[in-house]
Amino acid sequence: MGDHEKHRIMMVSDFFYPNVGGVENHVYYLSQCLLKLGHKVVVVTHAYGNRSGVRYMTGGLKVYYIPWRPFFNQSTFPTLIGMLPIIRTILIRERITLVHGHQTFSTLSHHALLNSRIMGYKVVFTDHSLNGFGDVGSIHMNKVLQFTLADVSQAICVSHTSKENTVLRSGLSAEKVFVIPNAVDTEMFKPAFEPPSRSSEIVIVVISRLVYRKGADLLVEVIPELCRLCPNVRFVIGGDGPKRVLLEEMREHNSLQDRVEMLGAVPHAQVRSVLISGHIFLNSSLTEAFCIAILEAASCGLLTVSTRVGGVPEVLPDDMIVLAEPNPADMVRAIQKAITMLPKIDPQVMHNRMKELYNWHDVARRTEIVYARALKCPHQDLLEHLSRHLSCGAWAGKLFCFVMIMSFLLWHLLELWQPADDIEEVPDLIFQTSMMERRGLKKEKKMTDDGEFGTSFF
Amino acid sequence: MDHRLASDSPQFRPRWRKVAYGGMQPGFDDNYTDESFLEGMVMNANVVKRDMLKVMLDSVSISEYLCIVALVVLVWTYTLESTIDENCLLCIDVSLLVSGFLILLYTPEKVSLSILIHHYFLNISFFIIGLYVLAPIYQTLTRSISSDSIWAVTASLLVLHLFLHDYSESTVNAPGALKNPALTSCISVNASVVASVFIASRLPSRLHVFAIMLFSLQVFLFGPLVTYCIKKYSFRLHLCFSISLMVVTLSFVYMLHRLLFVLLLSLLVFVNVVCPYWLIRIQEYKFEINGPWDEAKLCFAITD
Repeated sequence: MGDHEKHRIMMVSDFFYPNVGGVENHVYYLSQCLLKLGHKVVVVTHAYGNRSGVRYMTGGLKVYYIPWRPFFNQSTFPTLIGMLPIIRTILIRERITLVHGHQTFSTLSHHALLNSRIMGYKVVFTDHSLNGFGDVGSIHMNKVLQFTLADVSQAICVSHTSKENTVLRSGLSAEKVFVIPNAVDTEMFKPAFEPPSRSSEIVIVVISRLVYRKGADLLVEVIPELCRLCPNVRFVIGGDGPKRVLLEEMREHNSLQDRVEMLGAVPHAQVRSVLISGHIFLNSSLTEAFCIAILEAASCGLLTVSTRVGGVPEVLPDDMIVLAEPNPADMVRAIQKAITMLPKIDPQVMHNRMKELYNWHDVARRTEIVYARALKCPHQDLLEHLSRHLSCGAWAGKLFCFVMIMSFLLWHLLELWQPADDIEEVPDLIFQTSMMERRGLKKEKKMTDDGEFGTSFF
Repeated sequence: MDHRLASDSPQFRPRWRKVAYGGMQPGFDDNYTDESFLEGMVMNANVVKRDMLKVMLDSVSISEYLCIVALVVLVWTYTLESTIDENCLLCIDVSLLVSGFLILLYTPEKVSLSILIHHYFLNISFFIIGLYVLAPIYQTLTRSISSDSIWAVTASLLVLHLFLHDYSESTVNAPGALKNPALTSCISVNASVVASVFIASRLPSRLHVFAIMLFSLQVFLFGPLVTYCIKKYSFRLHLCFSISLMVVTLSFVYMLHRLLFVLLLSLLVFVNVVCPYWLIRIQEYKFEINGPWDEAKLCFAITD
């Protein structure tokens, strides 16, 4: 379909390198694979520390770090129309054809989508998280999402559960929402050359932020019980967070110092080395749209035990994962079942299967189809946008319309003040593909710190 | 994955599965939606069916407290008009203190005589002495502020107090209670204390100030505790007490001012009849969605 058409894509998210996480990973790998498919990709994010301006990453991926400071949870302050000038300049400079925003919690992506829609660009949005319907925060977030998605060209979710959630939250028709999961760079997560022996002890690895949502409280209940039932089990816990104290307390209280190892925060580059020291990966999240950590563990040949929440049941075939209800008794049972399954697991076979199941290039190709669909959507003028927004709610609809009109006026003011013709377009740099291919998709973040030019334009 | 499936059923198109692995499913687009879409959604699972009579009876405790505050305001007004003198006020204080203690003693809310003597008696005597010593300060505290401002601020503080008051429990707990009060109920108590100080500062003598402060603080701090104990002891007693309190308040307010009487009466009717009916009616519009995307709830108590 869209194989021959080359797009010029702007990825927008508050979450990007140097921050580490699922969304960051997704944006980075997707951009890299799209570059390889011959598209032009520019990433726009906010400034991290003194990392501000334009940087180049592996494969010529251009990243704009807009000098706006995050104010809460790495999100920029919502100003509704304040971002318009800079977004417009980037759109024109890079001759963008399509804008792709990521993550509900990223105010930057909401801004960019809103502003570029006014300017007539086609927009795609990827939702990476799940959100409830009950509490005040969710209700507010859902209204914002409804606003952003009201006339988004196409939307992408990372799992079917996430799709259901997004459709309910935003009122978008299910036809418009695509399910394209995350993937894993299997080259980075290979099993150990010599798998750890299973005869003497069984090592269970946990790598997650130690917070409530990741189920740190469940771990506190599960670990002592399991250590009591299975004397040959040892735990390795990587990660830091407010609940770490609780886990350490549990370890002291049950005198499990020699059986529960706490590593603290594990840098992403060292995750593999922690994973391959174990046999079973334990995920105790209370909510999860997709869970990349499970993929990384499975790619390293570990058998996964996880809570049955959100999109987790869709992530792996049944023989590669043991699911449990999020209560301590059922989780202990599931881990015991996993221990009996262990002799049948060959890490190398598991790794090879993961290679077939998940692939970033596949993700990029599927995203390409969504882009082609988005570009086929009919062009809408302001009145059509407004009527779409007015139907979003009695009060919210009018508020949304007001914001749309404001940003429309600002856009036309900018057109007078700084005409599009006066904005210099960036020449396309052609990187040596042979060099890129030799490097593969390895994250070579070292070279990113050099190229810093074009900052004067801010 | 797909090869294996295809070999299992060579002549049929493989069925669509709700899974994320294995790449794009052959024959289906990524936006394919089948009938299993939203199958895990549950609507209005936790909705409680409410009974009109029960809601009305529960709302009695709100009107009870409204009456208590109205009575306090009445005493303030009579004191400011010098209808009640300071000796009479002190008598009211002492009788309230004694009756409050007796109620706490006879309703089994973890208060035994020994606790009463050790904990309450000592504290209360410190409290009374402190108030007496500080009375001159209160008396001159707001001398430079005009009375109109004081009435306005006091009225708004009382509204704030009523708005944020914790009607289901008591902010001042019996000794040994585990639960800490919420921030809003603490603000509510503080607002009432400030209102009492403002009123006291308008009074002519130190003894007046002391008596009115003691009265207001007794009611605002310990009134909710006493009514809570009564309610826990026997709901019927609570109802009788509340209704008699309402009758007494209404009759006193009637004697003071007709319009205020009408206002208070309509407020009580609103709280006890209109609001419950309203609550039951809007239950129809309740729309609660649950599904697999919800955050799992832990089935055990977490310690922080």
